[in-house]
Amino acid sequence: MKTFQIYRWNPDTPTEKPRMQSYTLDLNKTGPMVLDALIRIKNELDPTLTFRRSCREGICGSCAMNINGTNTLACLCRIPAEDAAETKIYPLPHTYVVKDLVPDLTLFYKQYKSIKPYLQRDTPSPDGKEYRQSKADRRKLDGLYECILCACCSTSCPSYWWNSEEYLGPAILLQSYRWLADSRDERTQERYDALNNSMSLYRCHTILNCTRTCPKGLNPGLAIANIKKEMSF
Amino acid sequence: MASIARSALLKQAASASKFSNTSMAQVRRHDEQLQLLYFDPSNRSPHVVNDPAPVPPTSPSHGSYHWTFDRLIAASLIPLTVAPFAAGSLNPTMDAVLAAMILIHSHTGFQAIIVDYIPTKRLPKTRKAFMWGLNVATAVVGLALYEFETTDVGLTETIKRIWQA
Repeated sequence: MKTFQIYRWNPDTPTEKPRMQSYTLDLNKTGPMVLDALIRIKNELDPTLTFRRSCREGICGSCAMNINGTNTLACLCRIPAEDAAETKIYPLPHTYVVKDLVPDLTLFYKQYKSIKPYLQRDTPSPDGKEYRQSKADRRKLDGLYECILCACCSTSCPSYWWNSEEYLGPAILLQSYRWLADSRDERTQERYDALNNSMSLYRCHTILNCTRTCPKGLNPGLAIANIKKEMSF
Repeated sequence: MASIARSALLKQAASASKFSNTSMAQVRRHDEQLQLLYFDPSNRSPHVVNDPAPVPPTSPSHGSYHWTFDRLIAASLIPLTVAPFAAGSLNPTMDAVLAAMILIHSHTGFQAIIVDYIPTKRLPKTRKAFMWGLNVATAVVGLALYEFETTDVGLTETIKRIWQA
């Protein structure tokens, strides 16, 4: 048996304070991951429990939440079975909560849109077909293109907590670097100029919570350091 | 609201004994009306949720130059701090340079703290007050260091004396 303490808040009764609700599950009848437990709670114990989930295999980024103090994907996080302590589940920290474990990521997506996350190019390809890339250039995108924008890193960053209106946060900066590092993109200077102010990029103080928390094992801290280095002289 | 209206219409269409052409045409017409209402750009407010976040103007003096300058100052402080102890002798010029570097380093450091914790958007007046307060503090400390360097024994010698006291 394992007890889960889950953050509950209902927008239909906004005057009621958020509370923690306990659910006890028999782990022998539950799948290994926290998401399995959440789905089972919703199916069998409490259909009002609200959370986002989709792929259940760590590729969609929907089920990002704070489990036992760490931002991670519920579908990639094993239930600590050997540990008798209660597992505490909160929505992503420092986000507006829509309901229960569902955070409002509107600003996050607006910021993503602001970095123009697509190939910008004026010259046509020499053979009129694809934009070709050497193997070495393609390798530069490894560790960047895998980001699924689950917002675990951005919402773990204290600097993003204080200045999310202006600072872009680790996830968006990693995506920025993904397009800066792309040999096919021709608007590198414009992309640098968009970051070259006191808030967008330079509110990163190398705290590295982003790298520690990333459920996909990526390194947003390194990507940000690379942008700073490339822009330094 | 759109989905409610649509599902009601679809239910109406489904409850008919067979899908008559007229009811499907009705649904389609209704859909077109909804599209006109919700997807016509002229009906949109200028700041909808799908718009990108605004990009601030380029300003290298607050961005890349500032960052590079900060790192250079921080890096130069290491040899400047070690040099007098390694050489075992005191050079007043080196001492003055060290004092100036420490002053600039602390100024930009405090500046970063103010920028982090007092956002212009929410507290514009407090931000301005703190920035001026910092400028005044730096000026006072700068004057004091100048006096100290020119008329007294200087920074390194003071630390040496306190150390040996």
